[in-house]
Amino acid sequence: MNWNRKQQLTGYLFILPNMIGVILFFVIPALFSLGIMFTNYKYTSPNIEFTGLDNFSRLFQDPIFYQSLENTAIFLAAVPISIALAFFVALALNQNVYLKNMLRTMYFLPYITSGVAVSFVWMLLFQPSQGIINNTLRSIGIANPPGWLSTTDTSMFAIDIIWIWFLLGYNMIIYLAALQEVPQEMLEAARIDGASRWRTVVSVIFPLVSPSTFLLLITGLISSMKTFGMIQAVTQGGPGNSTTILSMYVYQNAFRYYEMGYASAISWVLFAIIFIITMIQWVGQKKWVHY
Amino acid sequence: MTNKRKWGTAALSVLLATSLAACGGGNEATNGASPSPGSGNSGGDSKPVTLTMWGGVPAEAGPQAVVDAWNAENPDVQVKYERFVNDDAGNLKLDTALATNQNIDLYVTYNLPVLVKRVEAGNALDLNTYGDYNIDEKMGEDAKAWKVKDSYYGMPTKKNVSFVWLNKNALDEAGLPVPPLDWNMGDLQKYAKALTKEKRFGYVMDMSAYNSIFDGTNAGSGYTKTDGSSNLDDPNVKKAYETLYNMQHTDKSMPTLGEQLTSKMPTDAAFLKGEAAMLGAGEFVFRSANNLKDFPHDFQIAFAMIPKVSADQSNFKYPGGLGDVISINPKSENKDKAWEFLKWYADGGMKPLAAGGRIPASKDADIGAALDTLLGSNKEGYDVKSLEEVVFGKFPTYTVPLSQQVVDARREEYEKYFTQSQSIEDTLKNTVKRHNDFVKNSK
Repeated sequence: MNWNRKQQLTGYLFILPNMIGVILFFVIPALFSLGIMFTNYKYTSPNIEFTGLDNFSRLFQDPIFYQSLENTAIFLAAVPISIALAFFVALALNQNVYLKNMLRTMYFLPYITSGVAVSFVWMLLFQPSQGIINNTLRSIGIANPPGWLSTTDTSMFAIDIIWIWFLLGYNMIIYLAALQEVPQEMLEAARIDGASRWRTVVSVIFPLVSPSTFLLLITGLISSMKTFGMIQAVTQGGPGNSTTILSMYVYQNAFRYYEMGYASAISWVLFAIIFIITMIQWVGQKKWVHY
Repeated sequence: MTNKRKWGTAALSVLLATSLAACGGGNEATNGASPSPGSGNSGGDSKPVTLTMWGGVPAEAGPQAVVDAWNAENPDVQVKYERFVNDDAGNLKLDTALATNQNIDLYVTYNLPVLVKRVEAGNALDLNTYGDYNIDEKMGEDAKAWKVKDSYYGMPTKKNVSFVWLNKNALDEAGLPVPPLDWNMGDLQKYAKALTKEKRFGYVMDMSAYNSIFDGTNAGSGYTKTDGSSNLDDPNVKKAYETLYNMQHTDKSMPTLGEQLTSKMPTDAAFLKGEAAMLGAGEFVFRSANNLKDFPHDFQIAFAMIPKVSADQSNFKYPGGLGDVISINPKSENKDKAWEFLKWYADGGMKPLAAGGRIPASKDADIGAALDTLLGSNKEGYDVKSLEEVVFGKFPTYTVPLSQQVVDARREEYEKYFTQSQSIEDTLKNTVKRHNDFVKNSK
């Protein structure tokens, strides 16, 4: 064995432990699900039949599937909103403001707190008749404050608020790090050229932190797509199906109804959506991300 | 690219269980499901065997006392109790353990569609192969609802009773008598309205009791019409929906469903704290009601039936029947020993569970003793007459035969109705459509 081959072998040996895990728990199950989405396989049921594209034709006639698509879209809107907010919070906290460190910690806290615990606190805040939010709204003269999580029309937006708040801390930390990297001489040059504060932000700072924005957008969208715990804790997808997002619908079908074939079909559709969105961003980034 | 890895984590959870199931399938084929008398470990002096039983009740709420009592009497057959949480994740855990042969000898199933799945998967022993215990005779007529493929694959052991808990002091104050056994929803609405006052709802209803009223109607009139299409829009179901809607939104005599859901309202605590004068629930509330330390209350509790929908409704059935269905795993190495334990359990061994409201179903169990355990040291706290009539009364009951998908579809649709985002007509129309679609798809 020559030196080169030996080197390669050593390399493979090093990644072997990780690869075993990936193959066992990801590659094989993924291929398995690719197969069972064409069957009527139900967990615990001994019968398994090839049904061709039946799961997909059922999927495209399933009103709850469309509703969860819509819910997913509303849910994803939280990501850009949170990123925009985080950008301005980071800008503010990057300057010499009072209690800077304490504020930074406060914004970051949600991210390191248990998601489920935080969700329960939000449920108390959103409680329609006695919650703090609605009591405050009533005390400032709003007679009929929204029902938040308790009505099908508002529940998805209430979930969005929780999610924006939850993502804010992480997004802010990434932006703070990026803002430290903005070269002082560029800001100085802008000042000498007479640029206003706003102009500096738009034309100098934002383009310089665009790689961070891109990172946050891509990771935020992907992680939001597969969010499950927070919504399960708060509403279990209800009332009605108003907060069932695709990842929850997969869970429901797989682990509540044991419809593994159908659930696999939905999860591959979810994969396709994530893949397409990521591709679009990857292509689109050339226009606005500056490295 | 990172997106593939990210996706992997998402897919992982879905796929993990399925791959395990595949392994389990292999075992099934090699293990015959039919018990033979010699298969049990029947050697008299051999070393003690250990049986493992999985159940949904926390060990400290009775099961541990049950197995301790058995273990003390039977040194050669020791039983170990393991608790699983009776929700989706917990049942999935149990099904996975059964499929992968994790040495479970006995386990408890809590609803019929789940039992059917377990029978189909070959994870439940046909108990009719043992000839020495007549389940029909011991457990009575109600046991039949638990038959799968015309046989018992699990032994129903406890009486399910759903009823309305009444704050007798509040009733007296309002000058209302304990309602008659055949009261209806119109009466309930009047009672609730009369009992509502500042900081007190007239009526709260446990989420499980929501279904009882609708199921009681459909169990009587049929879940499907004669042509096989859904009957979930029965006129009495509609009336029940509308009455509850009016109680929530017009009378404001009960919390709105949306509010109850989002605050995850502990209904038993609300009733015992006096924040609600009536509570639609079941025997499981005894666990809290007997616990005067955590739920102090000084009023007497009386009982009423779950109201039927309209006064002239003759075929309303009452939620109840039997529950806690215990099955033996066909792959168990000690099936005969497990069977001995199961018979002992059903005929009175389960008595310690009565403190949490689990009343034995077997006619050979000592009901008086169970009643004493049930009421504990709090006898004066209950109105004995209505307790005997309602909790220990005999009524036409049912066990819900609907699949989980249909139960969920119905709940999702009525949630939209009670949260005022869908009209009653659309609610019933969508419920029926989803029921019919499900029947069509599962063929």
